[in-house]
Amino acid sequence: MQLWQVLIDNFPRFRDGFLVTCQLVGVSFVIALGVGLVIAGLRVQPLRSLKWVGAVYVEFFRNIPLLVLLFISFAGLRRAGINIGAFAAGTGALGLYTAAYVAETVRSGVFAVGRGQVEASLSIGFTYPQTLRRVVLPQAVRTVIPPLGNITIAMIKNSAIIGAVLAIAQDILKEARLINARTFQTNEVFFWAAIGYLILTVTATVAVRYLERRLVIRR
Amino acid sequence: MGYLIDPANWEWLTAGNNLRFILTGFLINIQIAVLAMILSLIFGLVLALLRISKKPWVRAPALAWIDSFRNLPLIFIILYLALSIPQSWRDAYGDHVPAWFSEAFKSPFFLAAVTGLTLYNSAVIAEIMRAGIVSLEKGQGEAAAALGLPPSKAMRLIILPQGLRRMVPATVSQLITLNKDTTLVSIIGIQEVMRQARIVTNTSGSPFTGSGVDAPLLHVFLVVGLMFVIVNLLLSRLSTRLEIREQQRTGIRVKVTGLEDQVSADAQAV
Repeated sequence: MQLWQVLIDNFPRFRDGFLVTCQLVGVSFVIALGVGLVIAGLRVQPLRSLKWVGAVYVEFFRNIPLLVLLFISFAGLRRAGINIGAFAAGTGALGLYTAAYVAETVRSGVFAVGRGQVEASLSIGFTYPQTLRRVVLPQAVRTVIPPLGNITIAMIKNSAIIGAVLAIAQDILKEARLINARTFQTNEVFFWAAIGYLILTVTATVAVRYLERRLVIRR
Repeated sequence: MGYLIDPANWEWLTAGNNLRFILTGFLINIQIAVLAMILSLIFGLVLALLRISKKPWVRAPALAWIDSFRNLPLIFIILYLALSIPQSWRDAYGDHVPAWFSEAFKSPFFLAAVTGLTLYNSAVIAEIMRAGIVSLEKGQGEAAAALGLPPSKAMRLIILPQGLRRMVPATVSQLITLNKDTTLVSIIGIQEVMRQARIVTNTSGSPFTGSGVDAPLLHVFLVVGLMFVIVNLLLSRLSTRLEIREQQRTGIRVKVTGLEDQVSADAQAV
C-alpha cells in the first residue's frame, strides 16, 4: 500500500520527470537522425577525403564515453566562454553520440543493397544522386529499421546520464533522487521511476517489432 | 577553434604529474571493466542457461529478470544500489577490504558500483550468449541426442562450446561499452579517471598544489576521451579480427552484435 501512496503523493513530479525524459529523447533523436544521415552520406559517397571525415567522426563518437562528452559539451564549453544551456548541451551531446551509431547502421543498410542494383540503375541512365534516392535509399531504410529501433532504446537509457550529471535537466532519474531525498522511501520511489523507464523502452521495443513486420523485406 | 589549438592551453599536459595522474585513474577504469566483465560472464552464463531452459517456471523468471535489467539505464541501477545498500554492509566491506587495494576499490560504494555494472552487463551478456546458442543449427543437438548423450552432457560438450565460440566477438565489443560505462561510477564518488581529471583541472593552475599551469576543462576531458577512444578502437579491431577468423574456420557467418547493449543475432552460411 505504501507503494501506491508514494506514487499518488508524488505523481506530478514523476509525470514532469517522465515528460522531461521524453523531451530529451525526442530532441536527441532528431539530432542523431539528422547528423547520422549526413555522416552516413559522407561515408558512402565516392570522395576519399570526405569518407575519411565520416570515419573519424564515427570512431571518435562511438568510442568516447557519453559522460566525457557531457563534461566537454557543458562545463568544458562554458569554461571556454561559450554560454551553452544545460538542455542544449545534454541533447547535443547525446544526439552527436548516437549519430555515430545511426551513421554506422545506415551505412551498412546502404551496403546491404547489392552493388549490382547500383550498377544496373547507373547503366540505365540514372545519375548518382538519383540512384541513391530512387533505388538505394528506399531499400536501405527498410533494412535499418530494426537496428535503428535498438539504437533508440539505447538512447532512452543513455538519456538518464544527462539527468545524473547536468543539474538543470530534471528527468525521471533526477526527480526520483529528489523525491527520495525528501521521503527516504528509496525502494518505492525507484520502483516507480523504473516503471517510467520501462514504459519508454518497452513501448519502443513493441513499436519496432510492429514496424519490422510491416516494412522489412526479407532477403 | 583558436582556443582549442592554442599551445598555451596544452602546456598542462607535460607540466607536473598531470598526465600520470590521469593515466592512473584510467587504469582504475580498465580494472573495474575487467572485474565487472569476469563477473558478468559468470552470471550471464547462468542466466542464459536458465533462459533457454525447457521448463517454463525456470524460463519465465529468467526472462523477466534479463529484460528488466537490460531495459533500465545503468546509471539508474548504480544510483539505486548506492542509495539502498545498507550502511552496515558498506562498513563491513570497508573493514575487510585489503589495505593494498587502490583508493577506488576501497570506497564504501565500490560494492554498489560493481554490483550495478554486473547486474546490467550480465543481463546483456546472457542475451548475447542465448543468441549464440540459439543460432546453432538444430542438427547439432539432435545428433548429440541420437548418439545417446543425455541433454546435460549434450549442452556441456556439444552446444555450449560451439554456441559460446560464436559470441566471443560480440563479447569483446560489449567490453567496449562496459569500458565506457565505467566512467559512470564516478557519479557515486569512486575515484577513477573522471574524478582524477577533475582534480587536475582544479589544482593544476595553482602554484601551491599543482604545476602552476592552467588546465582547461575542455582540453583535459578531450584527453580523457581520447584515451578511451584509443583503447576501444584496439578492442573493436580485435573483435572484427575474431569475427573473420571464426567465419573462416566454420564457414558460417554469424553476426551477433551487441550494438550499444542491444543484441541481435543472425547466422548464415557463406
